[in-house]
This record gives sequence, structure tokens and C-alpha cells, in this order.
Amino acid sequence: MESVKSRNNVVVSYLIAGGLIILVMIIFGILMLLSQGGVLDLQPAAFYQILTIHGTGMVGASAFAAAGIMAYFLSKYVDLSKNVLMTNLVFFLIGVVMVIIGVFSFEYASSWTFLYPLPQLSANAWGTIGALLYLFGMLILGVGFLLFYLDAGRAIIKNYGSLAKGLGWDVISGKKAEADAPSSTVVASTMVVIINVTALTVGAAVLIMNAINVINPAFTVDPLLAKNLTYAFGHIFANSIIYMGVIAVYEVLQQYTKRTWAVNKVFLIAWTMSTVFTLLIYTHHLLMDSVMPTWMLIMGQALSHANGLPVLVVTAYGALMIVYKSGIKWDVGSGLIFMSMFGWVAGVVPAIVDATIVVNQVMHNTKWVPGHFHMYMALGACAMIFGFMYYLAKQDSSIKTNAADKFAFVGYAVSIAALSGSFLVSGVLSTPRRWATHIPEWMGPALFGGVIGVLAFISVAIFVIHFIRFIRIRSKTVPGTYKKEQLA
Amino acid sequence: MRNFLYGMILLAFLIIPPVRNTLESIMITHMLVQIPLLIVSGWLMADVFQERFKAFFTKWNENGIAGILLVIFITAYWMIPLNIDRSLEMWSMELFKFGSLPLLAGIPLRDSWKKISSLVKSFIIFNYISMFGLLAWIYIEAPVRVCNSYLESDQEILGWGFLVITVSLILYMLQNVFADQSEASP
Repeated sequence: MESVKSRNNVVVSYLIAGGLIILVMIIFGILMLLSQGGVLDLQPAAFYQILTIHGTGMVGASAFAAAGIMAYFLSKYVDLSKNVLMTNLVFFLIGVVMVIIGVFSFEYASSWTFLYPLPQLSANAWGTIGALLYLFGMLILGVGFLLFYLDAGRAIIKNYGSLAKGLGWDVISGKKAEADAPSSTVVASTMVVIINVTALTVGAAVLIMNAINVINPAFTVDPLLAKNLTYAFGHIFANSIIYMGVIAVYEVLQQYTKRTWAVNKVFLIAWTMSTVFTLLIYTHHLLMDSVMPTWMLIMGQALSHANGLPVLVVTAYGALMIVYKSGIKWDVGSGLIFMSMFGWVAGVVPAIVDATIVVNQVMHNTKWVPGHFHMYMALGACAMIFGFMYYLAKQDSSIKTNAADKFAFVGYAVSIAALSGSFLVSGVLSTPRRWATHIPEWMGPALFGGVIGVLAFISVAIFVIHFIRFIRIRSKTVPGTYKKEQLA
Repeated sequence: MRNFLYGMILLAFLIIPPVRNTLESIMITHMLVQIPLLIVSGWLMADVFQERFKAFFTKWNENGIAGILLVIFITAYWMIPLNIDRSLEMWSMELFKFGSLPLLAGIPLRDSWKKISSLVKSFIIFNYISMFGLLAWIYIEAPVRVCNSYLESDQEILGWGFLVITVSLILYMLQNVFADQSEASP
């Protein structure tokens, strides 16, 4: 038996590392927008380095914190290895340091997509060492995550028999009653294991392909194959963040409303559909590549539209139903969790629009796309993460929220909605994305986004400070020993 | 003991000059038939070694990690084209190949596989999936002859062979994780 505090330390470490990195990444985001808005003189080389670290850091840190959520709740149902969680933490920190050194000390700036042949073909903007530090840093990060998901898969198979049963296929086929279905946490975790093990294995291959090309440019890759592999890794991995975060929605709302989130056949079918669709829809990143096989482009559009529906509708409807007339006592944690459903629903709409081939050909390389993923990730996935941080603080300590926390909740909602709106407006104005320099006609929304980003920074800083206060307080509390059904 | 005999017979069969020459005359049979069979011969012979050197295996390969790392290093070493070339040109390297694959890959693989956890097993398999996928690309796309002893067309065929293995491993893992293991799990 180990203490609850000891057991939760790992999850707390995941969350504080994720929260702090997200906070620093917001500063980089503000700098880029102010530079595009014409009020800050950022050299293009510096801009692209910041763009690289911002994208990599936001996805990596959010995924890491979301993995903490998954570990915390999944541990209620299966036995996860604490050593693997610690190994992932160590690999994450080593990878982050390598990426930071590669970007800022060796001026690597390919953006997080490291799209072949850019790591090697930099026109002397950066050299071999910078590229290799970044690529191998990402590889080490990936190995840590892969270990975590393999362990989660192992634990699910051990308890439930197979990943098919983790997804509830025996219930769907009628062999088992709905009452015996796996919990929503297990279903979501199984889905994430399947998609992320696939993504990370593909990612390892394409990262090493790029590394070999950097070392010996004579070894080339078919650029279309490289792009497919890169997005099969990047899109799936980034997409998985919200599927890990939603576990907090299921679990926290059940506890707040004292109601059960019913897992029925519709719920299980929706998650199975999303498992398949999420693996296949990365092709919506290649709709502008006319050399792609036509059937893949059509599949990219059709399945992207379809993927907007199953889990999202089931979860959003479920969230509304579980809260309706439940007498729930709202606080910052539950508020953020509930708001995340709006962020998810609203944030997916611009993506579905962009996944339509005729629209994509006009909009995909504009700031419309950052408009989608800022709303989807910040107001959806990150709201789940911050909501969980408040939930954990409340569970594990006597800490109270104050007026600053309530201000931060409102400030976060308003600032992210406004920031996402400014990106979408930029998209409508045909402002290209990933450009360091803007013409005057494009500057207004960027400047607005940079200014409102300061409010987002203040809000997230308050969230993180609350969590740090909790960490200090919990050193004196959290008594008792670990009970499997109690905590992670 | 019977397995040991089978292993010895297999190893002796692979050493016979006509068999050795035939397998090594084609790149894909050299790398995807001879080398795996050498590992299999070591796997078959392992129980006698495990019995005879029980204390050694207990002391040096208690949890299987040291052994499996040795397997990874030895198999990775024999995936490097330069080493394949050398084994055809230098008798010492050929001797090392026939010694290292059964003794340093086959035997430790059998000793380690039952000791390592299912997590490590999965990690090893996924590591080989990405490694074989990568080798498929390297051998198919290599802009030059990577082995002096084989033609470019030979290495392309080998690349496709690696791709078949990659796909087979993926299919194996898929059936493994989706098939019910309720009774198989400890």
C-alpha cells in the first residue's frame, strides 16, 4: 500500500509540467501575433523558430497533461505501471530539452510538421545538429508516450480480455448486457491506445527517415509518402488529446451530478466509429495535393464530416442530459469541464468546413485553420485539462477558489473565443498562415489577437498558480493509503 | 534435448557449403531466410545451455532485459549492409555471423522472452515494426548499391520483403490485441 499523495504525485507532475509549458507557449503566441500585427519587430528567422516551438510545445504539453488525466481515471479500473508513468515523464523532459536546444541554440525552424524535405533543405537557415536535435528529441518524446500507451493497452487487455472488449464490441454484438459494458473511461482509453500506438509507430519511422535524409541527403523519400506518414502521426496524435481529455468530462460530471453516465450501444458504436475515422481522416491535410489518389481525398472529406458527429454528439448530448435538473453546484472546475463541450462543438465546425474539398482549396493555407484548432484545442481540450486541475485540487486538498479564479474562468472563455474569432476573420480575409510578415490589410485581426492573448495568458497563469498553491497545501494533507477504487 | 538436436541439425544444414552458397547468392534469402534460421537454430538449442549454465543466466539475465538488449544489438548489427558485405568477403566475419546469431541472438531470445513483461514484448515488437518499415524504405529507395555483392534490383526485392514482414507483424499484433485473451492472461 502506498500513500494517496505518493500515487498522485506522478499525475500532479504531468499536470504542472503541461500547465507551465502551455503558459510559456502562450507568450510565444502573443509575440508572433504582435509581430504580425506590426507592433513588434521580430526577425523572420526568430518568428519561425517561435512558430516551431509554439506548435510543438502546445501539442506536446497538452498531450502530456491529457495523458495524466487518462492515467488518473483509468487507474480506477485497471492496474497501470507507475514506473512506466515515471519513464514517460523522464523521456518527456529529455525530449523537451533537446527540442528547445535544437530550436533556440541551433535555429531549427521547420514548424512542428517537420515536413520532408524541410529539415534537411533549410537554405542554411539551420544546420544538421539543430535538425537532428529536434528530430531525435521528438523521437524520445514519442518513445515515452508509446510506452505509456502500450502499458495502458496491456492493462486493459489483462482486465477485459482484449481491446475489442475494451471498446465494448461484445456488448454491441449482444453477447453481453449493456449493464456489464466497460466504463466510458475504459472505452475512451482503449480508443486512444489504438490510435496513438499507430500514430507513434508511424511517427518513429518518418522521424528516422528525415534524420537519415538530414545526415545523407542522397537518401530521399517520396515526398507524398513522407507527408502521408507525417500527418498520420501528427494529426492522430494531436486529435487524441481531446479524446483523453473527455475522460475528465465523463468522470467529473458524474461525480458533480451524482448521476451515472450511461454506457449504451449507441455510445459504444460512436466510439468505435471514431476509432476508425480518426485513423483515416488525416488525409484532409492533403486535400490540396492533387497527386493524391482521388479516393483518398474523397475519403478524407467524407470521413472528416462523419467524424464530427459520433462521439461529439453522444458526449455533448450526454453532458447536457447529465447536468439537466441535477442540482449540480457549479465551480471553476466543473464550469471549465462543461465549457469544454462548447469549445469542442464550436471548434469542430470550422474544421468540417475546411475539410470540404472546394473550401479547402481556398481556405486551408489561411489563418482559418488556426482559428479552428485554437478554439478546438484551447476552448475544448485545454479547458478539460484546466478543469481537471481544479477538480484534482478540490479532491486532494482543502484549497478554496477565490475571485481571481472566477475572473480567470471568464477571462479564459472570452479571450480564447475572441482569439479564435480573430484567426477566423483573418482566414476570411485570405491572410496566409505561417507567414512572419503581414501586409497592413492583414494586421488588424493579428494585433487584436495578440492583445486579447494577454488576457488568455493572465487567465492561464491564475489557473496554474491555483494548482501550485494546491501542491504546496497538499504536502500537509492527503492522508491515508492508496485504494484502487479511490484514486490513480 | 530433442530440440537441441534439431537446432544442431539446422545449424549444420545451414553451414553445408551448397546450402550456404545458395542462400547467400541472393540478397533476400541471405537476410530473410539464412539469418532468421540461424536465430531459430539458437532458439532450439537454448534449453541445453539454459540447463547447463543456469547460474549464469540467473545472474546475468534475471529479468530478461540484458538478453533482449543483446538480441536487439545483434539483429540490428546484421541489418547493416556493410556487415552483410563483409560476411561474404571475410571468413572471420562469416564465422562471427554463424556464431553470433545462434549464440548471442537465438539463445538469449528464448531465455529472455519468457522473463520479460508483456509491456516490454509489445515495445520490442513495435520497435521492430518501425525498424522493418524503415529498412523497407531504405532498401527500396537507396540511390546507390548498398552492398558490393548484390545488385540494386536485389536490394529492392529485399526492401519489399521487409515490407511484407512489417505488414505481417502489424496483422499479428492486430489479431493479438483484438482476440479474446481472458483465459490466456495470468
